[in-house]
Amino acid sequence: MPNITYITPDEETVTIQSDEPNLMKAAKLECVEGIDGNCGGVCSCATCHVHVHPDWMEKVGPPGDIELTLLELEDDFDETSRLCCQIPLTPELDGIVVRVADR
Amino acid sequence: MISTPDPFREARETSLTLPVDVNGETIPLLLRMQDIRKACKNTGDFSSANPFHITLEPETRVRSYRQFPIESDPPEHTDYRAIVEPLFRRPEQPAYAARIEELVRRAVTAALEAGELEVVRDFALPLQSRALTLLLGLPESEAETWISWGVHVFHDGDGGQKGKVLEAYTAAQFERAAREPGEDFFSVLNQARFQGRPLSFEEKQGFANLAFAGGRDTVIGTVTRIFAEAANDPKLLPGIRATPDLADSAVEEIVRITTPLTAISRTCPHDTAVQKAGGRIGLCWASANREERFFPEPDRFQADRNPNPHVGFGFGPHNCLGAPHARLLLRTLFRILAEQDVTLRIQTQELQFEQLGTVTRPNGFQRLRIKITKQL
Repeated sequence: MPNITYITPDEETVTIQSDEPNLMKAAKLECVEGIDGNCGGVCSCATCHVHVHPDWMEKVGPPGDIELTLLELEDDFDETSRLCCQIPLTPELDGIVVRVADR
Repeated sequence: MISTPDPFREARETSLTLPVDVNGETIPLLLRMQDIRKACKNTGDFSSANPFHITLEPETRVRSYRQFPIESDPPEHTDYRAIVEPLFRRPEQPAYAARIEELVRRAVTAALEAGELEVVRDFALPLQSRALTLLLGLPESEAETWISWGVHVFHDGDGGQKGKVLEAYTAAQFERAAREPGEDFFSVLNQARFQGRPLSFEEKQGFANLAFAGGRDTVIGTVTRIFAEAANDPKLLPGIRATPDLADSAVEEIVRITTPLTAISRTCPHDTAVQKAGGRIGLCWASANREERFFPEPDRFQADRNPNPHVGFGFGPHNCLGAPHARLLLRTLFRILAEQDVTLRIQTQELQFEQLGTVTRPNGFQRLRIKITKQL
C-alpha cells in the first residue's frame, strides 16, 4: 500500500498507508484536518484542495479542465493545486507529500 | 428516463443572462456555471444582506423575520454561521448516521408493508420531518406537527398564512428551551453569543425560520426523485447493491438533475456589468447544472457521473448548511432501497412546474404514486 504524507494548515504532519481509491478518501479515513470531501469525491465541493509537493507534480499531473475551473476560484490557488479526490492512489505515488490548503 | 428538459439551454448558449420579470422588477438571471461561481465568491458586488429578498419572489408576505445566516454577508455572515455550524456538521458523526439509518429503514419497511404509496406526502414529507428532528435535536414526536404543515412551510396552497403558524411555533420552542435548556437547536441559539452579545429574539427567529424553510420542499423533491429514477432505471438499485460507494455519486447526480432550488437572488450595492446599483440578480443553479461544458449529456441521469461539479447545494460562503444532513439522508435512502432489493413501479405521476418570467421549468412532483415490492 502506498504511503502518503499530508501537512495540515497547522503544520501537523500525518503519514498514512492506504489502499483507498484516491487521496481524498485516504485522508478522510484518517480524519486529516482540512480535508472535508463533502461531495464524496466527484469534484463538486472543492473541500479537498491540496498543494502537491513540487517533486511530485510530474507524477501527479495537472488538474483536468473541470477541476481547474473550481481551483482557480480558490484563494490559495497556485500551479501545485489539486483537488485530491481527483488524484487516484496508485503504487507510483508511494511516498507522495501534499500540503492541505488553508481555507 | 424522466423527462425534465432544460428550459434555459437556448438562453444560456446565446447570452450571459436571462431577464425575468418578478412583480414588475426585472431581474437578470446569470445562467453559466463559472459566472455564477464567481458571483457567489464576490459578496461585495453581489450581496445577500437584503432582508426578505434572498428568493426571486420577495418573502415579505410570508415571513416577518430576516433569515440568518443567509441574509447577511461576510464578515458578519461568518460569525452568524459559526453559531450553528457545529450542529449542522453532526451528520458526519457515526452515531448520527446510525440514527438516520434506523429512521430510513423504518420508513422503507413501512412502505413495503403498504405495497403502494404516494411518495411525496406518504414517504418524503414524513421522512424529511422525522430526520429534521435529529438535526435539531428534538424528540421525534415533534415531527407530527411539522408533517401537518404540508410540503412547504410557507405556502402549501393556503395563500401564505402558514408562515405565521411557523413563527408562533418557533417562538414557543425558544420559550420552552429557555425553561428547559438542553443541547437542541433552540437551546443553542438561546445560549449563543454573536460578536460578544446574545442573539436578539428577531435573529433567533430568523435562524429558526431558515432551518425549517430551507430544507423542506428541497429535500422532499429530491427524495421523491430517487424513487422516480430508481423506478425508471431497473439497473440503478442493483448497481448500488453491488457497489455501495455508487450511492455517493448517485446522490450528487440526483441533486444535480433535480436542482430543487432553481435560483437564488443577490442584490447589487453598486453598479455591476449585469445590474445597476440597488437592483437584484438571480443565480440560476438549474441552468448551471445543465451546462454541457461541465456535464456531458446534461439531461441524462448518470449515477456514476464523475466529475460532477454541480451547484445544487449552492457555492461559496453561503453553500447549503444542511448539505451534510441531506447527503447522509439521501445516501442512506439509496443504500437501503438497494439493500432491500426493492422493485418500484410508477402508477401515476404529476409533475410540478415553476414559472420564472416566460420560462416554465418542471421542478419535482406534485404526486408520484408507486408500487413497491421486494424481489423474491
